[in-house]
Amino acid sequence: MTLATAAAAALLFGAGSYLLLQRSLVRVVAGIALISQCAIVTIIGSSLSQGRAPLDPAEGGPLSDPLPQALALTALVIGMGTLALLLALVHRVVVAHGTAERDELRDVDRPGRDEVVRQEGDETE
Amino acid sequence: MEGAEAERPGSSRSRRPDWPGWSCCAAAAAGFAVCLVGWLRGGGTLSLPWVPSLDLRLSFAFDGLAALYSLLATGVGVLVFAYGTRYLRQHLVEDGRPLSEGRRFWPWMGLFAVAMVGLATATDLVLVFVFFDLTAVCSYFLIGFDRERREARTAALTALLVTIVPAVALLVGAVLLYSAYGTFAIPELVARVGPGTTTTVAGLLIAVAALAKSAQVPLHFWLPRAMQAPTPVSAYLHSAAMVAAGVLVLGRVHPLLARSELVLVVLLVVGLTSIAVGGVLALGRDELKQVLAYSTISQYGYVVTLYGMVGAAAAGAAAFYVVVHAVAKSALFLSAGAVTTATGEDRLSRLGGLGRRTPVLAAATGVAAATLAGLPLTGGFFSDELFFGAAKEHGPVLTVASVLAAGLTFAYIGRYWTRLFLGPLSTAPGALSRVLLVPVVVLALVAVVIGIVPSPITALAQDAGAVSHAAPVTLSPAYHLDLRGTNVMALAAWALGGLLLAAAGLRDRASRLVATAGDRLGPRRAYTATVIGLRRVSDRLHDWETRDLRSSIAAVLVPAGALAVGAFAVTPVTQAFAVGPIAGTDWLVLPLLVLVGVATLVAARTRERLGIVLALAAVGFGLAAVYALRAAPDVALVAVLVETMLSLVFLAALARLPGTEPHREHGRRRGQRWRDPLVAAVSGLGAFVVIWGYLSEPRETPSVAAEQARLAPAAHGQDVVTVIVADFRGLDTMGEITVLLIAAVGVATLLRRGRLW
Repeated sequence: MTLATAAAAALLFGAGSYLLLQRSLVRVVAGIALISQCAIVTIIGSSLSQGRAPLDPAEGGPLSDPLPQALALTALVIGMGTLALLLALVHRVVVAHGTAERDELRDVDRPGRDEVVRQEGDETE
Repeated sequence: MEGAEAERPGSSRSRRPDWPGWSCCAAAAAGFAVCLVGWLRGGGTLSLPWVPSLDLRLSFAFDGLAALYSLLATGVGVLVFAYGTRYLRQHLVEDGRPLSEGRRFWPWMGLFAVAMVGLATATDLVLVFVFFDLTAVCSYFLIGFDRERREARTAALTALLVTIVPAVALLVGAVLLYSAYGTFAIPELVARVGPGTTTTVAGLLIAVAALAKSAQVPLHFWLPRAMQAPTPVSAYLHSAAMVAAGVLVLGRVHPLLARSELVLVVLLVVGLTSIAVGGVLALGRDELKQVLAYSTISQYGYVVTLYGMVGAAAAGAAAFYVVVHAVAKSALFLSAGAVTTATGEDRLSRLGGLGRRTPVLAAATGVAAATLAGLPLTGGFFSDELFFGAAKEHGPVLTVASVLAAGLTFAYIGRYWTRLFLGPLSTAPGALSRVLLVPVVVLALVAVVIGIVPSPITALAQDAGAVSHAAPVTLSPAYHLDLRGTNVMALAAWALGGLLLAAAGLRDRASRLVATAGDRLGPRRAYTATVIGLRRVSDRLHDWETRDLRSSIAAVLVPAGALAVGAFAVTPVTQAFAVGPIAGTDWLVLPLLVLVGVATLVAARTRERLGIVLALAAVGFGLAAVYALRAAPDVALVAVLVETMLSLVFLAALARLPGTEPHREHGRRRGQRWRDPLVAAVSGLGAFVVIWGYLSEPRETPSVAAEQARLAPAAHGQDVVTVIVADFRGLDTMGEITVLLIAAVGVATLLRRGRLW
């Protein structure tokens, strides 16, 4: 089971990093979604004990490890917040620049960068 | 001064006393009194746990050495701060800057003094390192106080880099000693450390840090540049703080250094070279503060040389020398500042004949100069006497070298004083404020008092020397009207100095030659080249990293991957991987994981945007089912909720975007088509190895789960996960809610075109 969990998580990570490298910002966001799924699978997979759900502990019997579950909850919710923000950003980029392609956006946001570098370069003797 | 205020009549703000400055001054005076009482009462130690897991302690000892340097830092501090209250105001008014900028000055000045006292009293090597760097940080802000001037900024940076980078060597040396002897406490190390390679290496590392701080050759070049600082800073930095910190550390760890012949030889060589280089360069400088800066390099060379000679006499002489030098040097700096303030000139070639116009200043400066030159009736005579005495014990080479050194000192300080105060008047001085004059006079009086009644300083130096020597030290400086060795050496040094003073042409040519050689081949050139080179590398890296999103991501992922690879390279891998048993519901989980895998591949391959969203949803819901089967109902429920919302959000976003992805990634060079899949495969494999290794190593004990399950009913909850989230880790949850709130505000703002309301 360890091997299967690791393989699934690795597949999620690999596909996620592939998507991260794409030109389309929508696919980049999808890549981040996959990588955060990978993190959650890993956290759940790292439970130290297997048993029934950690409800009503007074009943006795082995419980599943509750701590990774609490961590996974946090990760899920934060992941959702991050993704929503990223999607809103993509939406804004499309509204502002009419495209969600990285290559077409590259020259949009760098006005006169060389000048700044030249000025800073004078600082050190 | 009067002129400056006359330009701003009715400016009530400029007449108001400089309260921050005077309160610093008062604090320093109080500190001086406390230190004095502490020393007279015999000192004491204080040791509190700091980081017990690393054996770090906040251990302080108020012994002789601590007393000496604390009294210097606070005593010189009182006078320098008092001087600064007037100087700073005038400095700011002349530059046309608001007086409120003084707020940036006094806190650093006060912290400088505190750091110095802390360094003097610290007896834990890591604590020493902390205070050591604190003085460097303070000096950075003080040297760069005139931040709109480029020279001041570069000088501050140079001082910071040249003293802080070698300071790391001090930390490395401390860790080396700790790994060998199991303690950072200097007194315990002194008791335990024996001669050996570790001791030598650690001693050399600590010495490098201390020598760089004390501006010894070849790391001396930061000090003359640091003259960009306001005069009170220079005076303080040269006499009682920063530069003194280096020799303080040498004195503190000297018993360790003395266990290695090599370290002592290095100290001797560096010290003598610094005396020579500093002295010869001081002979030819034109700017007042430059002369004094090179003089400082030379003078601390004396102290380093003394630490290089082992022995009770040398250790005591070093301590005595530091006190006398601090008094003389701070007086000289304050007088140079007063001269520059009164005349507006800062070069010897444009100044001269000031003696008749400012007789008090001339006399006080003369006393300070005579102290440096070691003339009788000043403290300098005794410090030179002790220096000669220690050198005489160590053979003819050092005897001759010490006479040459003293002769050189006599010559350059003589040139300085005669050029400044004798001869025809070059620039007429304006009126001189009393606040600028009094500290110089007080310091000159102190020098004379030491020259007549040396016993208090002798007692202090004996106590401090006893710490450096790790054995009692007896000093007996006194005037002897006979031809004993030290007297002959002093006479020879004065004669030599007089000759150098007279032979102006030869002297100037030699000094210029050395200065040119230093500029051509000196360490400053290497430093500049290094800084420029590093800057270029950093620029190139930055350009690459910010070129596009891909490089920004690579800049994070590649080092992270390299770290993981490194971790695998150094850990054993046999038996690190376990396949794991499959039982019960696991047979249901396996096909679900296969489904998730397929959906993942689809999400990566498809060009349809809707397809991406659906595949992501399949991944999410599939995983939610996995969580449910692995006895995690809370996670499963939240996952279903989150997936539903995310799918809706994704769909809503897509409604604004074109339906399909561009089919071909055009503009690619040949051979790049396989780059992304290859990178993805490598990172996926890397993740596989790391995650599998991580999951294969369960640690049964000590698990907090049992404890949390036991405590859950007490927290009025039956669901352990809920109790953890809401109670045991409630603070985390609050942070999480904050993050969500910020994200929500961000989304709302973005959707409303940058306006929240």
